[in-house]
Amino acid sequence: MGSKTKWIGFLILLAVIAVGGIYLLLGGGQSPVTLRGYVGGEKIGLLEDPEVQGILEREYHLTLDYAKAGSLDMVTADHTGRDFLFPSSQNALEYYQQVCGAPVKSEIIFNTPIVLYTHTPILEAFRDRGLVTEREGCYYMDMEGLVAEIEAGTTWAELGLPELYGTVAVNTTDPVRSNSGNMFAGLLANVLCGGVTDVEHVEEILPRLCSIFERLGYMEASSSDLFDQFLKTGMGAKPMIAAYENQLLEFAVENPEDWEQLKGDIVMIYPTPTVWSSHIYIAIDEAGAAGVDALLDEEVQRLAWEKHGFRTEVSGTDSDSGQFGVDHIAAAITQVAAMPSYAVMERVLEALS
Amino acid sequence: MKRLNCAILALLMILGLSACGTSSQAGNNSGGQTLGQGRGVTLRILSGSENRELEEILNAFAQKENINIEMDYQGSLDIMRTLQGESVDYDAVWPASSLWLTAGDTQYRVKHAESISITPVIFGIRQSLAEELGFVGREVSVSDLLEAIQSGKLRFCMTSATQSNSGCSAYIGFLYALLGNPDVITAEDLQDPALGEKITALLSGVDRSSGSSDWLKDLFLMGGYDAMVNYECLIISANQELAARSEETLYAVYPYDGMFLADSPLGYVDNGDDEKEAAFLKLQAYLLSDEVQDQIQRTGRRTGYEGVAAENEDVFRSDWGIQPQRVLSPVRMPSTEVLMECLDLYQTEFRKPSLTVYCLDYSGSMEGEGRTQMVEAMSQILIQENARTNLLQASEHEVNLIIPFEGEPRNVYSATGNGTELESLYDTVASEEALGGTDIYAAAEEALRQLKRYDLSQYTPAIILMTDGVSDGSFSDFQRYYEACGLDVPIFSIMFGSADPTQLEDLAELSNARVFDGREDLVGAFRSVKGYN
Repeated sequence: MGSKTKWIGFLILLAVIAVGGIYLLLGGGQSPVTLRGYVGGEKIGLLEDPEVQGILEREYHLTLDYAKAGSLDMVTADHTGRDFLFPSSQNALEYYQQVCGAPVKSEIIFNTPIVLYTHTPILEAFRDRGLVTEREGCYYMDMEGLVAEIEAGTTWAELGLPELYGTVAVNTTDPVRSNSGNMFAGLLANVLCGGVTDVEHVEEILPRLCSIFERLGYMEASSSDLFDQFLKTGMGAKPMIAAYENQLLEFAVENPEDWEQLKGDIVMIYPTPTVWSSHIYIAIDEAGAAGVDALLDEEVQRLAWEKHGFRTEVSGTDSDSGQFGVDHIAAAITQVAAMPSYAVMERVLEALS
Repeated sequence: MKRLNCAILALLMILGLSACGTSSQAGNNSGGQTLGQGRGVTLRILSGSENRELEEILNAFAQKENINIEMDYQGSLDIMRTLQGESVDYDAVWPASSLWLTAGDTQYRVKHAESISITPVIFGIRQSLAEELGFVGREVSVSDLLEAIQSGKLRFCMTSATQSNSGCSAYIGFLYALLGNPDVITAEDLQDPALGEKITALLSGVDRSSGSSDWLKDLFLMGGYDAMVNYECLIISANQELAARSEETLYAVYPYDGMFLADSPLGYVDNGDDEKEAAFLKLQAYLLSDEVQDQIQRTGRRTGYEGVAAENEDVFRSDWGIQPQRVLSPVRMPSTEVLMECLDLYQTEFRKPSLTVYCLDYSGSMEGEGRTQMVEAMSQILIQENARTNLLQASEHEVNLIIPFEGEPRNVYSATGNGTELESLYDTVASEEALGGTDIYAAAEEALRQLKRYDLSQYTPAIILMTDGVSDGSFSDFQRYYEACGLDVPIFSIMFGSADPTQLEDLAELSNARVFDGREDLVGAFRSVKGYN
């Protein structure tokens, strides 16, 4: 693999030199092609990264111009003048295929698991309750136990947190509009069913699932907004949220000083089991297809993990997460359940809308 | 020489700013403000009025970076409606809460949205009254407040729930308490007739209403009121002003089971202009820089991840009841669908009915464009199908009077409720002809005379005076009449054509009201003023 990579690197170098030579011969550089598309908010940091932009521009003559949209919302949004969609789940692709037909090209670019974020006093309360356990330096939430507390209407005060108003809840994005909420709904459906939910069993648990989400009231439409508010509004406003693992990793790399202030308070908990969010690039026209190779570029993939926390083929071993300065990162994500199928999720969304 | 120019310019800016701060005059969107030197790129920002207090901080940026900033102020709900429109004629939006961004941005035009500061919506109650009510130094629930309101001991001012985020937050907090604090309000909850009775009784305790939070603070400072629901930061700035005047300050009450947070998100509206986007990002980075976040914290807003710094606790004064170290634990906002249903009910059933007298100028100079625009504006208010789009519908018990005037009032037309009577008022408006002179005082006096016939404690009364010319008659005679009446009725005016702003401002000052500028957008001005009651 290593030598092969080197060879590829060498060939790319040759190609770059050759292409460079042709430019000079033609008397000028080629201006990059702009691809326009919809992107889930959690990937904006990556697309705004000057290093990533540099590679796309230099090596692939591409600029990616985006509008932020929820993974499911973007499927039904106006596609005029858009070349690609970059949602955060396989299901969005299935949804796209159903609404718009086969895409020109599609490819998983990277993955990240759904995690829970909360504050240290809340973590401690859950540990006292026996719902959170620590293994190899990482925290794991017993999802069945958590759902039981939510359904029982346990108050934060009963968990020993009188300064928090209301009942235990996990805030998510709107599952109908955005992927992280949608995946959390899938995860909860699995928990309620005691295994990966199928078409037969989903009907039984829908009323319970709906009741959990109904009680959340207003939900954000974007994962990045939810995360920003979680950090800024403090422990009282959003005691615990479900979001992507990469969001905190990226935040810590991009804002080391802020993270220094926050790291004593903010903690990441892996749900047992969790689900993978696969960030999948969908080219919706010929021009858009060029984005796939560019994003799978080895350097881009490396930056995606090291600076933005997305797990890729080049990442995921315990030796290489030190750069984040975030404690309690799991070396490997092992306790994963499959998301319910698209048909099941369609039913779930119907019930939640 | 150059330095001198800069100094003069800076001085002019300061004068401009302070003039804006004290004047009751305002543009149709509650007053625009341009910051910067007129060269370089311009950012047009549609903002909640509470950010008016940050103009100095914005101006420092505008001067330094040679980027102009045009601030237009609207209620957060209006910002939501603007975002929902076909096109958005702004480069950035800055509502009080991200809720309105999410609900408004259905076409995904907003990006880079980040919260600039946090402030909770709380009650500010005159210190001695707060003590008398036993609210000092203990946790207070919404029910405690309701009890005080229902027993008539507490009357308060709030903004309109359908126009402004702070009023909406307070209203939703009331609903939670009246429903016995459910996890979240559902559509079924709202069907309960008992709820309707209770909330209507509660809202009858509202002294004065307003379309925007910052103006509510200004109104409060004009004097004579006991309490207001507003942002913590505006309670703080009201107190600073009251303390400077050696007047009694407000005690901050944080209802633990009915509090909401405003997270003040500033987002870029992507209309495809790279230069503007770069300027926006620069502005946002400036506002989020440590130094400026600290300056913003000094205005009474909560910034940063570590809460209020020890050295800023002189702003967040605990003797005013302000609790900078409090864990702010808000109640849950209902889903957007239920929320809109709540607002609809507020507008059409629950709020205190308004009693509005429109004095409309039909003098000769209104002939043509003026008259056409005025009729169009009234159609936005009186024709209920139009009014609904801006949540300005009439309620079942409200009363509207129309006094067409020239050199004297011509006649009085009235309509009760929101049915055919109201819509037929529009026919009157459309059929009056424009001729004769102008006397706003005679018209306003007639309006007061009409209002005396009602029990005003049952209504939110207002006179809305629209005029396009210099008025005959005498202000001092009118002032005597107004004071003799002893009614707390605001006389809002809408300036048009060659109306004399000083004449209108005199009326506003006399009656704790304000002037709206309808010269650029008369229809917008009517809509704004209607949002005040």
